[in-house]
Amino acid sequence: MATGPFELNSYVGRKPVVLTLLMALTVLLFMTVTGISHIFNSQQQSLAQRWSQRGAVDLKAQHYPEAVADFRTALLYDRDDYSFQLSLAQALLGLHRTDEAYTYLINLWDRQPENGLVNLELARIAAGKGDTWQAIRFYHNAIYATWSGDQDAESRNARFELIHYLLGIRATTQAQAELIAIDANLDADSPLQEQLGELFLKAKDNQHALSAFRRALRQNRRNQAALAGAGVAAYGLARYPIAQRYLEEALAISPNDQISAQRLHKTTSVLMLDPYRPQVSAIDHDRMAIHAFTVAGARLKSCTPSWGPAATAMQNLTKNWNSLKPHVNLSGLRRDPDLVNQAMDLAFSIERQASPVCGVGNDDDQALRLIANLHEEN
Amino acid sequence: MFREDRYFLMISVFIGIFSGLAVVCFRYAIDWCRIYLLGTGATPSHTRLLLAPSLTGLAIAALVIHFFPRARGSGVNQTKAALYIFNGYIPLRTALGKFIISALAIGSGQSLGPEDPSLQIGASLASAIGRRLGLSRDRMRLIAPVGAAAGLAAAFNAPISAVLFVIEEVIGRWTAGILGSVVLSAVSSVVVMRWFLGSQPLFRIPAVELLRPSELIAYSVLGIVGGLASVAFASGIELLRPRCARMHPWTHYLQPAIAGLLIGVIGALGAPQVMGAGYGYMDEAMHGRFTWQFLAILALLKIVATLLSFVSGTPGGMFAPTLFIGAMLGGAVGGAEHALLPYLSWSPGTYALVGMGVLFAGFLRAPMTSVFMVLEVSGNYSIIVPVIVANTIAYLISRTLMPVPIFDVLSRQDGMDLPSMEEQREENILRVEDAMQPPPEIVLEAGDTIEKAQRAANRSRAEVLIVRLRHSGWNSIAISALQSLIQEGKGDRILESVLVSESIPVLHPDQPLDVALRYVDRWPLVPVVNRANLRELDGVISERDVLERYRDFGGE
Repeated sequence: MATGPFELNSYVGRKPVVLTLLMALTVLLFMTVTGISHIFNSQQQSLAQRWSQRGAVDLKAQHYPEAVADFRTALLYDRDDYSFQLSLAQALLGLHRTDEAYTYLINLWDRQPENGLVNLELARIAAGKGDTWQAIRFYHNAIYATWSGDQDAESRNARFELIHYLLGIRATTQAQAELIAIDANLDADSPLQEQLGELFLKAKDNQHALSAFRRALRQNRRNQAALAGAGVAAYGLARYPIAQRYLEEALAISPNDQISAQRLHKTTSVLMLDPYRPQVSAIDHDRMAIHAFTVAGARLKSCTPSWGPAATAMQNLTKNWNSLKPHVNLSGLRRDPDLVNQAMDLAFSIERQASPVCGVGNDDDQALRLIANLHEEN
Repeated sequence: MFREDRYFLMISVFIGIFSGLAVVCFRYAIDWCRIYLLGTGATPSHTRLLLAPSLTGLAIAALVIHFFPRARGSGVNQTKAALYIFNGYIPLRTALGKFIISALAIGSGQSLGPEDPSLQIGASLASAIGRRLGLSRDRMRLIAPVGAAAGLAAAFNAPISAVLFVIEEVIGRWTAGILGSVVLSAVSSVVVMRWFLGSQPLFRIPAVELLRPSELIAYSVLGIVGGLASVAFASGIELLRPRCARMHPWTHYLQPAIAGLLIGVIGALGAPQVMGAGYGYMDEAMHGRFTWQFLAILALLKIVATLLSFVSGTPGGMFAPTLFIGAMLGGAVGGAEHALLPYLSWSPGTYALVGMGVLFAGFLRAPMTSVFMVLEVSGNYSIIVPVIVANTIAYLISRTLMPVPIFDVLSRQDGMDLPSMEEQREENILRVEDAMQPPPEIVLEAGDTIEKAQRAANRSRAEVLIVRLRHSGWNSIAISALQSLIQEGKGDRILESVLVSESIPVLHPDQPLDVALRYVDRWPLVPVVNRANLRELDGVISERDVLERYRDFGGE
């Protein structure tokens, strides 16, 4: 029986020959398909690149719907590309389609748990959903993750973002810890010292805030924000002379800074009313005590509750103030230095009693309370 | 050097490699067709949406009618026909036709999938190789399923599912010889496919954690909905396919074009997702792109689109559409449940994946394959419990409401009566215990004398007595033989010395009755003994018992 060129029947009795022929055919077909595959893959890669480039442009221009469509198309041609999926997730986040973006991101996270950007985006989504535990976890992942660009800067930015988040949810203690971590790793001449100081201020860590602002001022003595911040931090630390100096300098640079002006006014009031501060002459010491006593008297007059225990207490204080009033003058204080303490204690008591009943009062009243607190601490 | 079975195993590897290469090229062809017919963008223009599937439909009809008539129809059934009717013969022309026409159809947006054509391409290649090698008829019959497994494995990137499917739906039985060949071909085709297309699973979803076991109820609801949807889908095919086939022959030139046009209209009206195989959109559904309401609409539209494509005679498979419908339905049911019961843990990917398995189990009626398919296409084993629960429910509902599986419906519509694997699985088989008689009152011992045995035999009305041998085994002796021995004066001899053989075969109550047929014509009475104690007689069976039981069974 005649056999064609591809008839293997004649070789059936010689199985090794058949297998060898099949092997040769396999090699031939493999090479052919490899060639076809190369053409196919080149075309797919080219299409993927073309669409992803369009997507990148749209994403940069914040044209999110177009970017989503572009990256989806790019993924048609290279469905496993990590960067396309990440960009798609970012575009989806731009459209506030967080659930969809989350699914992409969590898959990417499965593939590369160490990717900083993925962790950061996941942290943002968790933060947006109010899932604090997950948010902090992903933020920390992002801080210690691998970043494609400047590793230190990206990591620091992620930590700054975490700090903002913690301050937003009033987790001050955790925010302070994160700030101290940044502080330890930040160069003294870093332009971020001012930002650090601001965050320390928000985290109510005045000591570190003042240090950070001072470092910022070393770089630029006329940094108005740093001067104002240093003034606020010093004020918070009850270091009023320093606060006054910084705030005055800040206002000199920017006279329209209302907040610094207010803070300076309070600081000045404290300095004018505090007879206990060091390096004050005897005459100024007495004058300050008289001034404080007078402020307290004015407070008594303006705060007269009509009934209840507060009214009784205020009446008693008024009685005490009236009995002490004739002696609180320059000559009286010179004769009896202990009167200063009595007058100041009474003034402090008046402010403390009046505050819950009649509100915080004017700047002088607030200054007196600050002095009272400072005096008690000392 | 090469025994026949080893040689066949080696050939299976080559079949797998060739099928894998063919499927890789088929995938490239589909993508190229899509790019050139529908454009490179994810959402084609309306003009392309309307023109590409309809004009390509005209070409498809002409190709099917004039050049590749056998390319029409289910690849699974054609492979089964090759196995049971045509001695493994599938023309290579069929593979070529399936390759070209299915690539055009799927690439132009017809709602069909590449898996069934891949399966048939594999089977056809295997058949061609077998013919060239002049394999024996037995081997030729098996070679088409071996190729089918390779084709399906490469299409799904899922060797276990492919092997299971071919065993479950095509061959219907497990033997070491078949399994070895099928596994080798499936694995080698997947290796080839991964070489060219990568080894990533078809879908990627995060690991699933059931917060509480009661969440399985939510997946059970998906099983119920999926079961009902499967029945609706299959009933639509059962109803419409013969009607379209009966239409005037000239309409067959237009049917794929009209189906394509209508599908294009669906796409242009805002649901282009239903066009083509739809794997990209399944992935997007798993990533929560669509609302649950839109997912439900997509599931419904996909059923319509697939019905249109399939009943119009356009070659292509129903695996991918089934998975698409399941994914959308799963996402929709999960989303709706979450909207109603917000405390349920909700992941669109999980529900979509389970939904795929549900439709696979309910529509294709391959319950085992459906479970493994979901695990393999996702590479995620954490969802196995919801998948098993939901798939089982869908399968049971589908089987109850639609007793004949879709593959059997299609083969009967095509005028063939192929063996139904589901019916075979469900078939009640007779066992030895159904026919055996209780143990006889008198059981002789091998150490008894013939006189003693004769005295005992006098008390029995049986013609043959069972003899328990001394150490192990059983034998039998006819009463007439005992009488003859007495007459010969051998009454004082012990039974053991006169028995013709050392022992006779024994049966166990759970064995199929077919097994008994091998013995009952050679031994008049066969002992049925306990598996736990081979010296304990559970009963006896004779040829008459077997035949009477078969006669009664036929009447039942």
